[in-house]
Amino acid sequence: MLFGLSKSLSSEEGFGDVKAYLTSPLAKFVIWALLSALLYHLVAGVRHLIMDTGVGETLEGGKLGSKIVIAVSVVVIVLAGVWIW
Amino acid sequence: MVTNVTNLSRSGLYDWMAQRVSAVVLAAYFVFLIVWIIAHPGLQYAQWHGLYANNWMRVFSLLALVALAAHAWVGMWTIATDYLTPMAFGKSALAIRFLFQVVCGVAMFAYFTWGVLILWGI
Repeated sequence: MLFGLSKSLSSEEGFGDVKAYLTSPLAKFVIWALLSALLYHLVAGVRHLIMDTGVGETLEGGKLGSKIVIAVSVVVIVLAGVWIW
Repeated sequence: MVTNVTNLSRSGLYDWMAQRVSAVVLAAYFVFLIVWIIAHPGLQYAQWHGLYANNWMRVFSLLALVALAAHAWVGMWTIATDYLTPMAFGKSALAIRFLFQVVCGVAMFAYFTWGVLILWGI
């Protein structure tokens, strides 16, 4: 990822190269996989912060929260896939 | 028993805080970046370079990089001390855990240095 950032910022041609790589189905899939992991981590992390404030700390709340995290993650991961393709 | 000698700040409470503060910084950075890229379809080099040429963007990126290093250290320390234990590996657990943390530390330092070079090289 850092290599891509470096190359895309280095020059006009570098930016074009990165753009060209990212059109390949394999590269798109890898980006989607990385983005999915990041998005799930983000959603689960937000749940942690909410639970830190004392919301949803019961057994029932914990179960509900984990279901909400999975549902929201699936939605954003599908949206990310739509965006990439 | 696993000692806390390799955690980030020698204080669990401080680590807890650092993990959450860095999490908020990282969330802000990635949400901003994703929204920015979505808002610029058909992105051209000049726009992309222009974004990273701003001083505020460099500060924001460097802040995110520091937050990433701290967040990763706390996270990897938690994983290492939870799972790379004598219960799982017997007597060699300490060596395995230490080696794992060395690899993580070197990787994070390398990413950090590389990131700084990219940010200030453009």
